[in-house]
Amino acid sequence: MKIKLFGAVAALLVAAAPVMAEYPEKDIQGVIQWGAGGSTDTVMRAVTPHAEPMLGAKVVMQNMTGGVGAIATKFVGAQEADGYTLLMGAENPQLYKVMGLGDSDYADFTPINVIARGVPLIVANNDAPFNTFKEMVEYVQAHPNEVKFGSTGPGGLPSVVTAMLTSEVELPVTFVPYDGDGPALTALQGGAIDVMPAVLGAAIEGVKAGRMKVIALVDSAENPALPGIAPITVDYPGYEKFLPWGPFFGIFVKNGTPDEAVSKLVGAYAEAVKNPDFVALIEGRGFSMLNLSGDEARAFLDKWQSVTSWLVYDAGIAKASPEEFGIPRP
Amino acid sequence: MDWTHFFMSWIDPQLLMLVALGTFAGIYVGAIPGLSVTMAVSILISFTFSWEMFDALSLMIGIYMGGVYGGSRTAILLNIPGAPSAIATALDGYPLAKKGLAGEAIGLSTTMSALGGLVGIVVLGIGAPAVSEFALRFQPRDYLLLAILGILLVGSLSGESLVKGIFAGALGLTIGCVGLDPLTAQERFTFGQIELWGGISFIAVMIGLFGVSEALMQLQHVDTAAVKQVIRRIVPEWRSVVKYLPLSLQSSAIGVIIGALPGTGGDIAALMAYDQAKRVTKNPETPFGEGAKEGLIAPEAANNAAVGGAFVPMLTLGIPGDAVTAIIIGAMFIHGLNPGPMLMIERPEMFWFILGALVLATFFMLVFGLTGIRLFVKIVELPRAVLFPLILLLSIVGAFAVNNSIIDVYFMLGFGVLGYFMKMYGYQVGPVILGVILSRLIDDNWRRAIISEQESLPRLFHGIFTSPLSAVLMIAVILVFVSNTPLWAWGKRRLSRGRS
Repeated sequence: MKIKLFGAVAALLVAAAPVMAEYPEKDIQGVIQWGAGGSTDTVMRAVTPHAEPMLGAKVVMQNMTGGVGAIATKFVGAQEADGYTLLMGAENPQLYKVMGLGDSDYADFTPINVIARGVPLIVANNDAPFNTFKEMVEYVQAHPNEVKFGSTGPGGLPSVVTAMLTSEVELPVTFVPYDGDGPALTALQGGAIDVMPAVLGAAIEGVKAGRMKVIALVDSAENPALPGIAPITVDYPGYEKFLPWGPFFGIFVKNGTPDEAVSKLVGAYAEAVKNPDFVALIEGRGFSMLNLSGDEARAFLDKWQSVTSWLVYDAGIAKASPEEFGIPRP
Repeated sequence: MDWTHFFMSWIDPQLLMLVALGTFAGIYVGAIPGLSVTMAVSILISFTFSWEMFDALSLMIGIYMGGVYGGSRTAILLNIPGAPSAIATALDGYPLAKKGLAGEAIGLSTTMSALGGLVGIVVLGIGAPAVSEFALRFQPRDYLLLAILGILLVGSLSGESLVKGIFAGALGLTIGCVGLDPLTAQERFTFGQIELWGGISFIAVMIGLFGVSEALMQLQHVDTAAVKQVIRRIVPEWRSVVKYLPLSLQSSAIGVIIGALPGTGGDIAALMAYDQAKRVTKNPETPFGEGAKEGLIAPEAANNAAVGGAFVPMLTLGIPGDAVTAIIIGAMFIHGLNPGPMLMIERPEMFWFILGALVLATFFMLVFGLTGIRLFVKIVELPRAVLFPLILLLSIVGAFAVNNSIIDVYFMLGFGVLGYFMKMYGYQVGPVILGVILSRLIDDNWRRAIISEQESLPRLFHGIFTSPLSAVLMIAVILVFVSNTPLWAWGKRRLSRGRS
């Protein structure tokens, strides 16, 4: 009898072992939505090594590109919710629904850390016949369709920023599509396009070297990386309701992941993001640090989705109304 | 003194070892289809995270240089280009191996890769600022013209039938269109399958069409003995190096320029150099496509010259010249540098260090490339019943490794079968690959060019003929086009008759 009981207890212990073992007990996979060398990739590869010692496991990162991040999002969504597959992404999934790119967004995922936010600005070729946002608006209106704006496809940062701008002023310009802000800023320097709405981090080195000029800082406050440039809200207070706005980077796990795993990941990444080397990298590239998790992260994601979805919808570039998905108007 | 950093990697034993190790590893990464330099370097970013920056860069530069060269190994021995930039190498390299001259082909390709690599580095060292300003001047319409120039290569890749070549090229262009349109996110040829959103992996197409189809072809003669490889000499004679010097310099020049353009890389450079070689070589000892040495030298010199070229816009402007330099930029950010137009002014020692490490990597590439050839060549002497299952296995692993996706393996096998039937009926597979490579370049830049001119064709032509750069490219397009038509041959005959 005793032996039997002992056996039963032992069997129970063995059965319970997987539940009781502490997360993580094996390597974690990190799936990066964007290609190697891009800003999402750089940020994820820079922050993760600081989180590994605190997790006590390796995070093996892999780029899974395509479909503006939808392929990676779908992949992680199809894995087990066990905390061993992280989605390392940017803002794009928050627009999938209205852009008709799928029915999944970050509502299906639990935020581990919303790391940082980019600051949009508008840069122009040095030879462009305007130097401020006001002058640009006047010039564009006097020469309809002649000024070439770079864009990165519907839903990309330039399209959202332009939607924001056109909600207040009329801007009859020609949009020339590029694969991303890198190629578009290259084209700007070569004169193939005149104006590009871009994220500060991508343009800052070119601006510092005098290879392009800043037309507007699309934010509600001055930026330490661009001293002396007034935010756009000084001349156009109408933009205040959208700002601050910007693309962001975040790490997510599938909803339903055990709390223990989520809290371990949240703790590790919250510390990693504060690492001085990483802070220097983020600030050097002109991003604003967020370090949000839990309810704060969720609130940020919801506000972002609401502002942006309605902007693109009102500008006529969305495929479906945000109302259909229950996204409230800001 | 900033330029003393040029020798830093030569003197410091640790850096020296890392460049050597990187080059050695690069050759093998490059040689295995599916394992790409881009992948290796991006994995290294996390791996070398806590290292000193110079250590990390030494390893990456070695892998880059070695990897571009390594692609030629499998292209020559097995007809599977290890990397896209070795596609043109397979066209004449594999026929040489089939004749039992694999050793000589590898020796020649190694020497010419090193020569091309050095030309690229010299241009980077001397003319970087000028070349990058030139590269920036390329407008969408210029990329379009360049891509059209590229698609005209169908003329020299189609074998006996131009019509079949055009068909194959068009097929390639269509394959390249599959997926979400990168400019508008519109679905094209996806039939509602989310797996197709990212497009069909180009590497899977390449491995299937070249490697698997060749293995299937060879199964017809599975019981014939393998060709005995004769190894007379590996290091090419000085005389033949001198003989081919003009061609390799010309090819290197093409490589540097195409490599420096932010929108194009070593694969297009190698194909264009191949075409150019075919055009300028009046009387090759062996016809092109059947093992012409000129057809091996040109792409090999060009793709390694493109490495130096890709660093030109990266070091002067912070603009990557190709996918690998894009990742190296990311690595530099992580190590606290800000690659951009100010890098040359704020941290000039970086420029000299990279230059020096590139030269060192080229040297190691020559050394590692010329040793061990006898062993490598034994691979092709394996009995066919052993070799072809191995090729199939390598192809499957390679196709899977690209994206860790089983779909890519299915596509690879499918294209292998397609390639088999194409070859059976006299269709060349080269134009298909050409079409896939150029499809994005043509598609994107045609739309950019026409949108920029407010969708007006007359304005586009006005733009082409008022810009000297576009006009030169346009004339080149017209000349190459006419030279592929019977009109040209007729005109030439008239001319020579008139003279006599």
